[in-house]
Amino acid sequence: MARTALITGASSGLGAEYARQLAARGTDLVLVARDRDALGDLADALTAQHGIGVDVLVADLVDAQQRALVAERLADLLHPIDMLVNSAGFGLPLAFERNDIDDEVRHLDLLVEVPMRLMHAALGPMLQRGSGRIVNIASVGGFIPRSTYGACKGWLISFSRWANGRYARRGVTVTAVCPGFTHTNFHERIGIPPGEEGIADWMWLEARDVVAESLRDVARGKAVSVPSLRYKAIIGLTRLVPASLVARAGERGR
Amino acid sequence: MARTALITGASSGLGAEYARQLAARGTDLVLVSPEEEALAELAAGLVDRLGVQVEVLVADLLVQGQLDRVVHRLAEPDRPVDMLLNCAGFGLHLNFERNEIDDEVRQLRLLVEVPMRLTHAALAPMLSRGSGRIVNVASVAGFVPFSTYGACKSWLISFSGWANGRYAARGVTVTAVCPGFTHTRFHERMGLAVRDMGLPSWMWLDARAVVAGSLRDIARGRARSVPTLRYKIAVVLSRVLPTGLVGSITGGAR
Repeated sequence: MARTALITGASSGLGAEYARQLAARGTDLVLVARDRDALGDLADALTAQHGIGVDVLVADLVDAQQRALVAERLADLLHPIDMLVNSAGFGLPLAFERNDIDDEVRHLDLLVEVPMRLMHAALGPMLQRGSGRIVNIASVGGFIPRSTYGACKGWLISFSRWANGRYARRGVTVTAVCPGFTHTNFHERIGIPPGEEGIADWMWLEARDVVAESLRDVARGKAVSVPSLRYKAIIGLTRLVPASLVARAGERGR
Repeated sequence: MARTALITGASSGLGAEYARQLAARGTDLVLVSPEEEALAELAAGLVDRLGVQVEVLVADLLVQGQLDRVVHRLAEPDRPVDMLLNCAGFGLHLNFERNEIDDEVRQLRLLVEVPMRLTHAALAPMLSRGSGRIVNVASVAGFVPFSTYGACKSWLISFSGWANGRYAARGVTVTAVCPGFTHTRFHERMGLAVRDMGLPSWMWLDARAVVAGSLRDIARGRARSVPTLRYKIAVVLSRVLPTGLVGSITGGAR
Protein backbone atom coordinates (compact mmCIF):
# COMPACT_ATOMS: atom_id res chain seq x y z
CA MET A 1 0.00 0.00 0.00
CA ALA A 2 2.35 2.76 1.16
CA ARG A 3 6.12 2.63 1.56
CA THR A 4 6.28 5.13 4.41
CA ALA A 5 3.39 6.23 6.63
CA LEU A 6 3.42 9.01 9.21
CA ILE A 7 0.97 8.40 12.08
CA THR A 8 0.02 10.95 14.76
CA GLY A 9 -1.29 9.78 18.11
CA ALA A 10 0.70 6.61 17.44
CA SER A 11 1.45 5.66 21.05
CA SER A 12 -1.98 4.21 21.84
CA GLY A 13 -5.48 3.43 20.61
CA LEU A 14 -6.24 3.44 16.91
CA GLY A 15 -2.92 5.14 16.07
CA ALA A 16 -0.92 2.26 17.56
CA GLU A 17 -3.16 -0.24 15.80
CA TYR A 18 -2.57 1.46 12.43
CA ALA A 19 1.16 1.24 13.18
CA ARG A 20 0.91 -2.53 13.86
CA GLN A 21 -1.18 -3.34 10.80
CA LEU A 22 0.82 -1.17 8.42
CA ALA A 23 4.08 -2.62 9.77
CA ALA A 24 2.75 -6.12 9.18
CA ARG A 25 2.29 -5.13 5.50
CA GLY A 26 5.90 -3.96 5.31
CA THR A 27 5.27 -0.20 5.49
CA ASP A 28 8.04 1.90 7.06
CA LEU A 29 6.75 4.20 9.77
CA VAL A 30 7.21 7.62 11.31
CA LEU A 31 5.48 7.52 14.67
CA VAL A 32 4.41 10.80 16.29
CA ALA A 33 3.18 11.23 19.88
CA ARG A 34 4.13 12.95 23.14
CA ASP A 35 4.91 9.76 25.07
CA ARG A 36 8.57 8.95 24.27
CA ASP A 37 8.64 5.67 26.22
CA ALA A 38 5.47 4.26 24.71
CA LEU A 39 6.63 5.24 21.21
CA GLY A 40 10.07 3.71 21.79
CA ASP A 41 8.58 0.41 23.00
CA LEU A 42 6.22 0.21 20.04
CA ALA A 43 8.99 1.08 17.57
CA ASP A 44 11.33 -1.58 19.02
CA ALA A 45 8.64 -4.25 18.90
CA LEU A 46 7.64 -3.45 15.31
CA THR A 47 11.25 -3.31 14.09
CA ALA A 48 12.03 -6.67 15.72
CA GLN A 49 8.86 -8.35 14.49
CA HIS A 50 8.57 -7.02 10.95
CA GLY A 51 12.03 -5.75 10.05
CA ILE A 52 10.73 -2.38 8.89
CA GLY A 53 12.28 1.07 9.40
CA VAL A 54 10.66 3.07 12.21
CA ASP A 55 11.41 6.72 13.04
CA VAL A 56 10.16 8.14 16.29
CA LEU A 57 9.17 11.81 16.40
CA VAL A 58 8.31 12.94 19.93
CA ALA A 59 6.07 15.99 19.62
CA ASP A 60 3.18 17.70 21.34
CA LEU A 61 1.07 18.72 18.35
CA VAL A 62 -0.66 21.63 20.06
CA ASP A 63 2.80 23.20 20.57
CA ALA A 64 3.53 25.33 17.47
CA GLN A 65 7.27 24.59 17.35
CA GLN A 66 6.96 20.85 17.87
CA ARG A 67 4.14 20.71 15.33
CA ALA A 68 6.35 22.55 12.83
CA LEU A 69 8.88 19.67 13.07
CA VAL A 70 6.19 17.23 11.97
CA ALA A 71 5.11 19.49 9.10
CA GLU A 72 8.76 19.74 7.99
CA ARG A 73 9.10 15.96 8.07
CA LEU A 74 6.04 15.67 5.80
CA ALA A 75 7.52 18.17 3.37
CA ASP A 76 10.97 16.47 3.25
CA LEU A 77 11.33 15.62 -0.44
CA LEU A 78 14.29 13.28 0.14
CA HIS A 79 12.31 11.05 2.50
CA PRO A 80 8.82 11.03 1.03
CA ILE A 81 5.77 10.17 3.14
CA ASP A 82 3.20 8.27 1.07
CA MET A 83 0.55 8.09 3.74
CA LEU A 84 -0.47 10.49 6.50
CA VAL A 85 -2.70 9.14 9.28
CA ASN A 86 -4.16 11.89 11.51
CA SER A 87 -5.22 9.95 14.58
CA ALA A 88 -4.16 12.15 17.51
CA GLY A 89 -7.15 13.23 19.57
CA PHE A 90 -8.90 13.38 22.90
CA GLY A 91 -12.40 14.02 24.18
CA LEU A 92 -13.89 16.42 26.72
CA PRO A 93 -16.92 16.03 28.97
CA LEU A 94 -20.20 16.80 27.16
CA ALA A 95 -21.12 19.77 29.40
CA PHE A 96 -19.70 22.47 27.11
CA GLU A 97 -20.91 25.28 29.38
CA ARG A 98 -18.90 23.93 32.32
CA ASN A 99 -15.73 23.01 30.40
CA ASP A 100 -12.77 25.38 30.60
CA ILE A 101 -12.72 27.36 27.35
CA ASP A 102 -8.95 26.89 27.05
CA ASP A 103 -9.49 23.12 27.06
CA GLU A 104 -12.11 23.54 24.33
CA VAL A 105 -9.66 25.59 22.24
CA ARG A 106 -6.92 22.93 22.68
CA HIS A 107 -9.47 20.31 21.66
CA LEU A 108 -10.32 22.30 18.51
CA ASP A 109 -6.61 22.77 17.76
CA LEU A 110 -5.80 19.06 18.03
CA LEU A 111 -8.92 17.78 16.26
CA VAL A 112 -9.12 20.33 13.45
CA GLU A 113 -6.22 22.78 13.17
CA VAL A 114 -3.50 20.14 13.46
CA PRO A 115 -4.90 17.76 10.80
CA MET A 116 -5.56 20.77 8.53
CA ARG A 117 -1.94 21.96 8.90
CA LEU A 118 -0.48 18.48 8.41
CA MET A 119 -2.67 17.82 5.36
CA HIS A 120 -1.55 21.12 3.88
CA ALA A 121 2.11 20.19 4.48
CA ALA A 122 1.66 16.69 3.03
CA LEU A 123 -0.43 17.68 0.01
CA GLY A 124 2.24 19.70 -1.79
CA PRO A 125 4.76 16.84 -2.19
CA MET A 126 2.03 14.20 -2.67
CA LEU A 127 0.43 16.16 -5.54
CA GLN A 128 3.88 16.70 -7.03
CA ARG A 129 4.55 12.94 -7.01
CA GLY A 130 0.99 12.28 -8.19
CA SER A 131 0.28 9.83 -5.38
CA GLY A 132 -0.54 9.76 -1.70
CA ARG A 133 -3.06 8.68 0.93
CA ILE A 134 -4.40 10.92 3.66
CA VAL A 135 -6.41 9.31 6.44
CA ASN A 136 -8.34 11.42 8.96
CA ILE A 137 -9.69 9.62 11.99
CA ALA A 138 -13.12 11.15 12.49
CA SER A 139 -15.99 9.42 14.32
CA VAL A 140 -19.62 8.47 13.84
CA GLY A 141 -20.01 11.40 16.26
CA GLY A 142 -19.43 13.55 13.18
CA PHE A 143 -22.81 12.46 11.80
CA ILE A 144 -24.67 12.90 15.07
CA PRO A 145 -24.55 16.28 16.87
CA ARG A 146 -22.49 15.67 19.99
CA SER A 147 -21.06 18.85 21.51
CA THR A 148 -17.82 20.25 20.10
CA TYR A 149 -16.38 16.75 19.58
CA GLY A 150 -19.06 15.82 17.04
CA ALA A 151 -18.69 19.24 15.38
CA CYS A 152 -14.91 18.80 14.99
CA LYS A 153 -15.34 15.31 13.57
CA GLY A 154 -18.00 16.72 11.23
CA TRP A 155 -15.38 19.23 10.03
CA LEU A 156 -13.04 16.36 9.14
CA ILE A 157 -15.75 14.41 7.32
CA SER A 158 -16.91 17.45 5.33
CA PHE A 159 -13.36 18.43 4.39
CA SER A 160 -12.28 14.88 3.52
CA ARG A 161 -15.25 14.51 1.18
CA TRP A 162 -14.40 17.71 -0.62
CA ALA A 163 -10.64 17.06 -0.73
CA ASN A 164 -11.07 13.49 -1.99
CA GLY A 165 -13.29 14.77 -4.80
CA ARG A 166 -10.77 17.46 -5.66
CA TYR A 167 -7.46 15.59 -5.39
CA ALA A 168 -8.28 11.96 -6.24
CA ARG A 169 -7.84 12.51 -9.97
CA ARG A 170 -4.38 13.93 -9.23
CA GLY A 171 -3.49 10.71 -7.38
CA VAL A 172 -4.07 11.78 -3.78
CA THR A 173 -7.01 10.30 -1.88
CA VAL A 174 -8.42 11.63 1.40
CA THR A 175 -10.48 9.33 3.62
CA ALA A 176 -12.37 10.16 6.81
CA VAL A 177 -12.55 7.05 9.01
CA CYS A 178 -15.64 7.14 11.25
CA PRO A 179 -15.51 4.50 13.98
CA GLY A 180 -18.26 3.99 16.52
CA PHE A 181 -17.42 3.27 20.16
CA THR A 182 -14.11 1.40 20.03
CA HIS A 183 -12.23 -0.41 22.78
CA THR A 184 -9.16 1.81 23.33
CA ASN A 185 -8.08 3.88 26.35
CA PHE A 186 -10.04 6.90 24.95
CA HIS A 187 -12.80 6.83 27.59
CA GLU A 188 -10.43 5.98 30.43
CA ARG A 189 -8.44 9.11 29.63
CA ILE A 190 -11.61 11.23 30.07
CA GLY A 191 -11.96 9.60 33.49
CA ILE A 192 -14.67 7.07 32.64
CA PRO A 193 -13.77 3.55 33.86
CA PRO A 194 -14.18 0.60 31.46
CA GLY A 195 -17.70 -0.83 31.66
CA GLU A 196 -19.23 2.45 32.93
CA GLU A 197 -19.50 4.28 29.61
CA GLY A 198 -23.27 3.73 29.38
CA ILE A 199 -22.96 2.02 26.01
CA ALA A 200 -24.66 -1.26 25.06
CA ASP A 201 -22.30 -4.20 24.44
CA TRP A 202 -23.27 -4.59 20.78
CA MET A 203 -22.18 -1.01 20.09
CA TRP A 204 -18.54 -1.69 20.96
CA LEU A 205 -16.01 -2.29 18.20
CA GLU A 206 -12.51 -3.76 18.35
CA ALA A 207 -9.65 -1.49 17.23
CA ARG A 208 -8.25 -4.33 15.11
CA ASP A 209 -11.45 -4.64 13.04
CA VAL A 210 -11.87 -0.88 12.69
CA VAL A 211 -8.33 -0.46 11.35
CA ALA A 212 -8.43 -3.50 9.05
CA GLU A 213 -11.74 -2.48 7.49
CA SER A 214 -10.76 1.17 7.15
CA LEU A 215 -7.49 0.24 5.42
CA ARG A 216 -9.52 -1.57 2.77
CA ASP A 217 -11.60 1.59 2.22
CA VAL A 218 -8.44 3.72 2.17
CA ALA A 219 -6.93 1.46 -0.52
CA ARG A 220 -10.11 1.91 -2.57
CA GLY A 221 -9.84 5.69 -2.23
CA LYS A 222 -13.19 6.10 -0.47
CA ALA A 223 -13.97 9.55 0.97
CA VAL A 224 -15.74 8.14 4.03
CA SER A 225 -15.17 4.83 5.79
CA VAL A 226 -17.66 3.65 8.42
CA PRO A 227 -16.32 0.34 9.75
CA SER A 228 -18.83 -2.42 10.64
CA LEU A 229 -22.26 -3.10 9.22
CA ARG A 230 -24.08 -1.98 12.42
CA TYR A 231 -22.65 1.51 12.26
CA LYS A 232 -23.20 1.74 8.50
CA ALA A 233 -26.87 1.04 9.24
CA ILE A 234 -26.99 3.66 12.03
CA ILE A 235 -25.43 6.32 9.78
CA GLY A 236 -27.84 5.44 6.98
CA LEU A 237 -30.70 6.04 9.40
CA THR A 238 -29.40 9.44 10.55
CA ARG A 239 -29.84 10.70 6.98
CA LEU A 240 -33.50 9.70 6.98
CA VAL A 241 -34.82 10.65 10.42
CA PRO A 242 -35.41 14.28 11.55
CA ALA A 243 -32.35 16.20 12.79
CA SER A 244 -33.92 16.83 16.23
CA LEU A 245 -34.25 13.08 16.85
CA VAL A 246 -30.63 12.54 15.82
CA ALA A 247 -29.58 15.31 18.22
CA ARG A 248 -31.29 13.50 21.07
CA ALA A 249 -29.42 10.29 20.22
CA GLY A 250 -26.16 12.25 20.52
CA GLU A 251 -26.88 12.80 24.21
CA ARG A 252 -26.53 9.06 24.90
CA GLY A 253 -23.41 7.51 26.32
CA ARG A 254 -20.34 9.43 27.42
CA MET B 1 -37.71 39.58 20.88
CA ALA B 2 -34.50 40.58 22.67
CA ARG B 3 -33.79 43.74 24.64
CA THR B 4 -30.09 43.84 23.81
CA ALA B 5 -28.32 42.01 20.98
CA LEU B 6 -24.57 41.80 20.39
CA ILE B 7 -23.68 41.39 16.71
CA THR B 8 -20.21 40.55 15.37
CA GLY B 9 -19.30 41.43 11.80
CA ALA B 10 -21.88 44.20 12.18
CA SER B 11 -20.34 46.73 9.80
CA SER B 12 -21.52 45.07 6.60
CA GLY B 13 -23.42 42.21 4.98
CA LEU B 14 -25.78 40.09 7.05
CA GLY B 15 -24.44 41.54 10.32
CA ALA B 16 -25.46 45.08 9.33
CA GLU B 17 -28.84 43.79 8.11
CA TYR B 18 -29.48 42.05 11.46
CA ALA B 19 -28.62 45.37 13.15
CA ARG B 20 -31.16 47.25 11.00
CA GLN B 21 -33.99 44.74 11.45
CA LEU B 22 -33.46 44.24 15.18
CA ALA B 23 -33.26 48.02 15.73
CA ALA B 24 -36.53 48.38 13.83
CA ARG B 25 -38.08 46.06 16.45
CA GLY B 26 -36.74 48.23 19.28
CA THR B 27 -33.78 46.04 20.28
CA ASP B 28 -30.76 47.85 21.73
CA LEU B 29 -27.51 46.86 20.07
CA VAL B 30 -23.84 46.22 20.73
CA LEU B 31 -22.13 46.36 17.33
CA VAL B 32 -18.74 44.65 16.94
CA SER B 33 -16.36 45.00 13.99
CA PRO B 34 -12.81 46.22 13.30
CA GLU B 35 -14.17 48.85 10.89
CA GLU B 36 -14.64 51.86 13.16
CA GLU B 37 -16.01 54.32 10.62
CA ALA B 38 -18.58 51.98 9.12
CA LEU B 39 -19.77 51.01 12.62
CA ALA B 40 -20.08 54.62 13.77
CA GLU B 41 -22.05 55.54 10.66
CA LEU B 42 -24.41 52.58 11.05
CA ALA B 43 -24.87 53.28 14.76
CA ALA B 44 -25.64 56.98 14.21
CA GLY B 45 -28.22 56.14 11.54
CA LEU B 46 -29.99 53.61 13.76
CA VAL B 47 -30.04 55.90 16.82
CA ASP B 48 -31.43 58.78 14.75
CA ARG B 49 -34.08 56.87 12.90
CA LEU B 50 -35.20 54.29 15.43
CA GLY B 51 -34.30 55.73 18.82
CA VAL B 52 -32.58 52.57 20.07
CA GLN B 53 -29.38 52.55 22.16
CA VAL B 54 -26.33 51.45 20.25
CA GLU B 55 -22.90 50.66 21.70
CA VAL B 56 -19.98 50.43 19.34
CA LEU B 57 -17.23 47.95 20.20
CA VAL B 58 -14.35 48.27 17.74
CA ALA B 59 -12.52 44.96 17.84
CA ASP B 60 -10.57 42.66 15.55
CA LEU B 61 -11.76 39.26 16.80
CA LEU B 62 -8.52 37.63 15.64
CA VAL B 63 -6.52 39.70 18.13
CA GLN B 64 -6.69 38.04 21.54
CA GLY B 65 -6.81 41.25 23.60
CA GLN B 66 -9.62 42.68 21.48
CA LEU B 67 -11.58 39.42 21.49
CA ASP B 68 -11.29 39.41 25.30
CA ARG B 69 -13.12 42.77 25.42
CA VAL B 70 -16.08 41.22 23.61
CA VAL B 71 -15.98 38.18 25.92
CA HIS B 72 -16.07 40.50 28.95
CA ARG B 73 -18.93 42.53 27.49
CA LEU B 74 -21.01 39.34 27.13
CA ALA B 75 -20.37 38.44 30.76
CA GLU B 76 -21.24 41.84 32.30
CA PRO B 77 -23.99 41.16 34.85
CA ASP B 78 -25.33 44.73 34.96
CA ARG B 79 -25.80 45.07 31.22
CA PRO B 80 -27.16 41.70 30.07
CA VAL B 81 -26.96 40.66 26.43
CA ASP B 82 -30.07 38.63 25.54
CA MET B 83 -29.04 37.74 22.02
CA LEU B 84 -25.64 36.94 20.51
CA LEU B 85 -25.28 36.92 16.73
CA ASN B 86 -22.03 35.46 15.39
CA CYS B 87 -21.89 36.93 11.87
CA ALA B 88 -18.20 37.82 11.42
CA GLY B 89 -16.56 35.82 8.67
CA PHE B 90 -14.71 35.71 5.40
CA GLY B 91 -14.03 33.12 2.73
CA LEU B 92 -10.87 31.87 1.04
CA HIS B 93 -10.33 30.59 -2.45
CA LEU B 94 -11.23 26.94 -2.89
CA ASN B 95 -7.73 25.76 -3.84
CA PHE B 96 -6.72 24.69 -0.34
CA GLU B 97 -3.37 23.34 -1.47
CA ARG B 98 -2.27 26.75 -2.81
CA ASN B 99 -3.72 28.91 0.00
CA GLU B 100 -1.34 30.17 2.69
CA ILE B 101 -1.78 27.89 5.69
CA ASP B 102 -1.76 30.96 7.97
CA ASP B 103 -4.78 32.32 6.08
CA GLU B 104 -6.52 28.96 6.52
CA VAL B 105 -5.82 29.06 10.26
CA ARG B 106 -7.19 32.64 10.46
CA GLN B 107 -10.34 31.49 8.68
CA LEU B 108 -10.73 28.55 11.09
CA ARG B 109 -10.31 30.89 14.06
CA LEU B 110 -12.84 33.46 12.84
CA LEU B 111 -15.43 30.93 11.64
CA VAL B 112 -15.13 28.39 14.48
CA GLU B 113 -12.94 29.35 17.45
CA VAL B 114 -14.38 32.87 17.84
CA PRO B 115 -18.07 31.80 17.80
CA MET B 116 -17.18 28.94 20.17
CA ARG B 117 -15.50 31.34 22.62
CA LEU B 118 -18.32 33.90 22.41
CA THR B 119 -21.00 31.22 22.77
CA HIS B 120 -19.19 29.91 25.85
CA ALA B 121 -18.98 33.43 27.33
CA ALA B 122 -22.65 34.20 26.62
CA LEU B 123 -24.04 30.86 27.80
CA ALA B 124 -23.31 31.15 31.52
CA PRO B 125 -25.20 34.43 32.14
CA MET B 126 -28.00 33.36 29.76
CA LEU B 127 -28.43 30.03 31.55
CA SER B 128 -28.42 31.69 34.95
CA ARG B 129 -31.15 34.12 33.75
CA GLY B 130 -32.98 31.20 32.10
CA SER B 131 -33.27 32.94 28.75
CA GLY B 132 -31.21 33.84 25.72
CA ARG B 133 -30.81 33.48 21.96
CA ILE B 134 -27.58 32.50 20.25
CA VAL B 135 -27.43 32.79 16.48
CA ASN B 136 -24.58 31.36 14.41
CA VAL B 137 -24.49 32.47 10.82
CA ALA B 138 -23.45 29.33 8.95
CA SER B 139 -24.16 28.64 5.26
CA VAL B 140 -25.79 26.08 3.01
CA ALA B 141 -22.13 25.31 2.20
CA GLY B 142 -22.15 23.53 5.58
CA PHE B 143 -24.39 20.81 4.12
CA VAL B 144 -22.25 20.06 1.07
CA PRO B 145 -18.50 19.47 0.73
CA PHE B 146 -17.01 22.92 0.09
CA SER B 147 -13.35 23.06 1.14
CA THR B 148 -12.47 24.35 4.61
CA TYR B 149 -15.22 27.00 4.43
CA GLY B 150 -17.94 24.34 4.16
CA ALA B 151 -16.25 22.27 6.88
CA CYS B 152 -16.23 25.23 9.27
CA LYS B 153 -19.88 25.98 8.56
CA SER B 154 -20.74 22.31 9.14
CA TRP B 155 -19.01 22.64 12.54
CA LEU B 156 -21.41 25.48 13.41
CA ILE B 157 -24.48 23.56 12.16
CA SER B 158 -23.52 20.42 14.10
CA PHE B 159 -22.71 22.29 17.31
CA SER B 160 -25.82 24.50 17.12
CA GLY B 161 -27.98 21.41 16.63
CA TRP B 162 -26.52 19.78 19.72
CA ALA B 163 -26.49 22.94 21.85
CA ASN B 164 -30.11 23.80 21.01
CA GLY B 165 -31.17 20.30 22.11
CA ARG B 166 -29.21 20.64 25.32
CA TYR B 167 -29.97 24.21 26.39
CA ALA B 168 -33.47 24.95 25.02
CA ALA B 169 -35.06 23.26 28.05
CA ARG B 170 -33.15 25.79 30.19
CA GLY B 171 -34.40 28.75 28.15
CA VAL B 172 -31.45 29.28 25.81
CA THR B 173 -31.89 28.49 22.12
CA VAL B 174 -29.08 28.13 19.59
CA THR B 175 -29.83 28.54 15.88
CA ALA B 176 -27.55 28.00 12.88
CA VAL B 177 -28.67 30.25 10.03
CA CYS B 178 -27.73 28.73 6.65
CA PRO B 179 -28.13 31.21 3.82
CA GLY B 180 -27.45 30.37 0.20
CA PHE B 181 -25.63 32.81 -2.07
CA THR B 182 -26.62 36.24 -0.75
CA HIS B 183 -26.00 39.67 -2.21
CA THR B 184 -23.46 41.19 0.22
CA ARG B 185 -19.84 42.26 -0.16
CA PHE B 186 -18.72 38.71 0.78
CA HIS B 187 -17.79 37.51 -2.70
CA GLU B 188 -16.39 40.88 -3.72
CA ARG B 189 -14.02 40.77 -0.73
CA MET B 190 -12.82 37.35 -1.93
CA GLY B 191 -11.94 39.00 -5.23
CA LEU B 192 -14.84 37.37 -7.08
CA ALA B 193 -17.00 39.38 -9.44
CA VAL B 194 -20.60 38.29 -8.87
CA ARG B 195 -21.24 38.37 -12.61
CA ASP B 196 -18.37 35.92 -13.23
CA MET B 197 -19.55 33.32 -10.74
CA GLY B 198 -21.76 31.67 -13.31
CA LEU B 199 -24.73 31.20 -11.00
CA PRO B 200 -28.32 31.41 -12.23
CA SER B 201 -30.09 34.46 -10.82
CA TRP B 202 -32.60 32.36 -8.85
CA MET B 203 -29.74 31.18 -6.62
CA TRP B 204 -29.07 34.72 -5.38
CA LEU B 205 -30.83 35.86 -2.23
CA ASP B 206 -31.47 39.28 -0.84
CA ALA B 207 -29.93 39.96 2.62
CA ARG B 208 -33.21 41.49 3.80
CA ALA B 209 -35.18 38.32 3.05
CA VAL B 210 -32.52 36.07 4.63
CA VAL B 211 -32.50 38.04 7.88
CA ALA B 212 -36.30 38.39 8.09
CA GLY B 213 -36.80 34.67 7.43
CA SER B 214 -34.15 33.64 9.93
CA LEU B 215 -35.49 35.92 12.69
CA ARG B 216 -38.80 34.03 12.51
CA ASP B 217 -36.98 30.70 12.94
CA ILE B 218 -34.86 32.13 15.78
CA ALA B 219 -38.01 33.31 17.58
CA ARG B 220 -39.37 29.76 17.27
CA GLY B 221 -36.17 28.34 18.79
CA ARG B 222 -35.27 26.26 15.73
CA ALA B 223 -31.83 24.58 15.70
CA ARG B 224 -31.35 25.53 12.08
CA SER B 225 -32.81 28.02 9.68
CA VAL B 226 -32.48 27.69 5.92
CA PRO B 227 -34.06 30.87 4.53
CA THR B 228 -36.16 30.57 1.34
CA LEU B 229 -37.99 27.58 -0.02
CA ARG B 230 -35.58 27.00 -2.91
CA TYR B 231 -32.64 26.46 -0.56
CA LYS B 232 -34.74 24.33 1.81
CA ILE B 233 -35.35 22.04 -1.15
CA ALA B 234 -31.67 22.14 -2.17
CA VAL B 235 -30.58 21.08 1.33
CA VAL B 236 -33.04 18.18 1.43
CA LEU B 237 -31.77 17.04 -1.98
CA SER B 238 -28.14 17.21 -0.78
CA ARG B 239 -28.99 14.63 1.90
CA VAL B 240 -30.63 12.26 -0.55
CA LEU B 241 -28.43 12.56 -3.63
CA PRO B 242 -25.14 10.61 -3.86
CA THR B 243 -22.17 12.51 -2.41
CA GLY B 244 -20.28 12.40 -5.72
CA LEU B 245 -23.08 14.18 -7.56
CA VAL B 246 -23.40 16.87 -4.88
CA GLY B 247 -19.63 17.34 -5.01
CA SER B 248 -19.58 17.79 -8.75
CA ILE B 249 -22.34 20.43 -8.49
CA THR B 250 -20.60 22.38 -5.71
CA GLY B 251 -17.14 21.91 -7.24
CA GLY B 252 -18.17 24.10 -10.17
CA ALA B 253 -19.28 27.11 -8.14
CA ARG B 254 -17.17 29.12 -5.75
